[in-house]
Amino acid sequence: MLLEVLQAAEAGGFILIQDSVQCCGRGILRCCINAALKRDEDVHVLGFESPETEVCAGLDSSFAQKLHFHKGFPDPLGWRGKSSFTVQQFTSQHITQLIRDSQPAKASVLVVDSLSLVLRHHDPVIVCQSLQELRKGGVVKTIIGLLHSDLHLQGIVGIVCHLASTVISVAPTNNERHAVATTTRRTKSGKVMQEEEYFSVSEDATLSVQSKPRQHDRVEKEQDSAEVDPASNLTFNLRLSEEERRAKEKVALPFVFSQEKKSALLRPTPGSGRIMYEPDANDDFDEEDPDDDLDV
Amino acid sequence: MAAPVRGMAVSSSIGNTTSFQKKTRSKLVFIPGTRPSVQNGQLLVSSGVSSLDYVIGGGLAVGTLLLVEEDRYDSYSRMLLKYFLAEGIVCGHELFLASARDHPDQIMQELPSPILDDVASMKMSEGQSQPNDPDNPDTMKIAWRYQNQPRVQTALASSSRFGHYYDASKTMDPELLQAAKYHSFYQLQETPVTTGLSSLPSPYLALLKSIQTLIQKEGFDGSTPQLRGRNVLRVGLHSLGSVLWGDDVCCKDNSAHCHALSTFLYALRGLLRTSLSVAMMTVPSHLIQSRAVMGRIIRLSDTAIALESFRGSEKETNPLYKDYHGLLYVRQIPRLNCLTSEVPDTKDLAFKLKRKQFTIERLHLPPDLSETVSRVSKADLAAGCASTATGNKHLHF
Repeated sequence: MLLEVLQAAEAGGFILIQDSVQCCGRGILRCCINAALKRDEDVHVLGFESPETEVCAGLDSSFAQKLHFHKGFPDPLGWRGKSSFTVQQFTSQHITQLIRDSQPAKASVLVVDSLSLVLRHHDPVIVCQSLQELRKGGVVKTIIGLLHSDLHLQGIVGIVCHLASTVISVAPTNNERHAVATTTRRTKSGKVMQEEEYFSVSEDATLSVQSKPRQHDRVEKEQDSAEVDPASNLTFNLRLSEEERRAKEKVALPFVFSQEKKSALLRPTPGSGRIMYEPDANDDFDEEDPDDDLDV
Repeated sequence: MAAPVRGMAVSSSIGNTTSFQKKTRSKLVFIPGTRPSVQNGQLLVSSGVSSLDYVIGGGLAVGTLLLVEEDRYDSYSRMLLKYFLAEGIVCGHELFLASARDHPDQIMQELPSPILDDVASMKMSEGQSQPNDPDNPDTMKIAWRYQNQPRVQTALASSSRFGHYYDASKTMDPELLQAAKYHSFYQLQETPVTTGLSSLPSPYLALLKSIQTLIQKEGFDGSTPQLRGRNVLRVGLHSLGSVLWGDDVCCKDNSAHCHALSTFLYALRGLLRTSLSVAMMTVPSHLIQSRAVMGRIIRLSDTAIALESFRGSEKETNPLYKDYHGLLYVRQIPRLNCLTSEVPDTKDLAFKLKRKQFTIERLHLPPDLSETVSRVSKADLAAGCASTATGNKHLHF
């Protein structure tokens, strides 16, 4: 599923890459940038944590005019006047104006490297509202954000993940060359898909993915082993052969009504019983005086 | 509160020696899509799901607020909200929908299509039953008198039919949507209301003012007479309490706005109690950090249910839950016109979303017929009781 997320980024989507100090998620971010450039889309990168040479290393040079890098590193707060974009300017108005200044032909892809620095300097409520306004505004097609999940409170990570349409969580494995990516994708119809895959990133920002065997296989194997035939290895016969079944059906059961009498007695009533009573000769239906022995 | 209006005509005939007097039929306020409750006489509307109506005591009382705690990915709680709004359209009620994440028009486009000819199809299927067919596998041979009896249903549903069924794979007809009267509130498009006296965040204040203006203008509170007779307003509030409403109760434990949602609910319930309206709101309770805030929200609602989806959790692979999509918890059942509420017979409920029905069933475990489990437990018990006889595991007391 990881390759599908990279290849077909949906409109109005928000892809969140969660990483930690054990495993870096910037490789997947570079693969997202490379895939967006190959789709001939304008990519705007807000680089707060990494220089342009590190983020754009390995990318194809023929798409250089489509990539717009807004330098925030090494001065993310604008103290020394060396940045073209600062953390304080992370609002929907500023970003919309920034993208419109480059006169894009269609909606662009916004890459935030990283959201952790924005969340440290802004109120999380305001950051989430800005992201929502950017998604619904029409100028930005897709937002791809990198979030260091071990730097924030669990509640803040929760609300950002709840806002995202796709969450990619990376974690280390025993193998040095690979890492595990847990992709949770939520479609617009409410369906949720989750998958774990091994991935590795090469030098030219190419992603190679291996599918991880699921835990469902254990349950299926247990179910297969539980369905042992109980009728085998018996000293008597539990099943009927074809001749025996036909001979059994030929035998007429006692007290069985014929089909005509059965259909005459059956009525297709909707499920409620009725009591039918025929009066005897000894029944007394005197409505004036129900009890003969009383003189009332 | 929408109290039933009774008119009694005293009729006495000349020459009648008995002291009993026959009264005429009481004139209740009849609004399409409503019915009085058999427990407390409250005017009820359907929530759109027949099983949910049964679980919460017959339906949603007019003037009350239904709280739905969202599941983790907001799949089934959003579906419940859509059922609520679709039921309002089919019954001809007026709708108000407030949302902050998606546009309300987008939610209205996704409403499920009603199955309106269900009763006719049932009658046709009954008429077309063929008891004379011997090749039919449903034909009973020995107990043939019980052939036309209905099957025993495990899904919770009341005997009298209240509400409608919907096909979740189709969307509602645009003509039905055009005929409905519908008001919307989208948080991103609303201008912020600045009032220094209020402690509410501006989205909540704007939402309250919008609902109050609608109730007063359309005459739901009885101040101005309604033009086309009495009607019920259905208010749908999606994902209240999330960060998109300007509330920080989801990301901080001791937030600055920890009383904002409680204040909003207090004012909203006051509006609902004085008008012919019913509200359903969904709250992302799995994101709210403080349990005290969630407890306050539940107490300020009339009816509270919680959904726990199996998607994305380890319960999805549990064989006990393989027939269901999630669990349903009834947090609170309303106490209206009486001291106590109706106690449901079971609290272990699970839900399943099928194509034509959202069913809520009793959760039951399969019978434990394993022979080895009991023997292992007996051996463990024997080893536990007789601590001195450690090596002997085959004691028979």
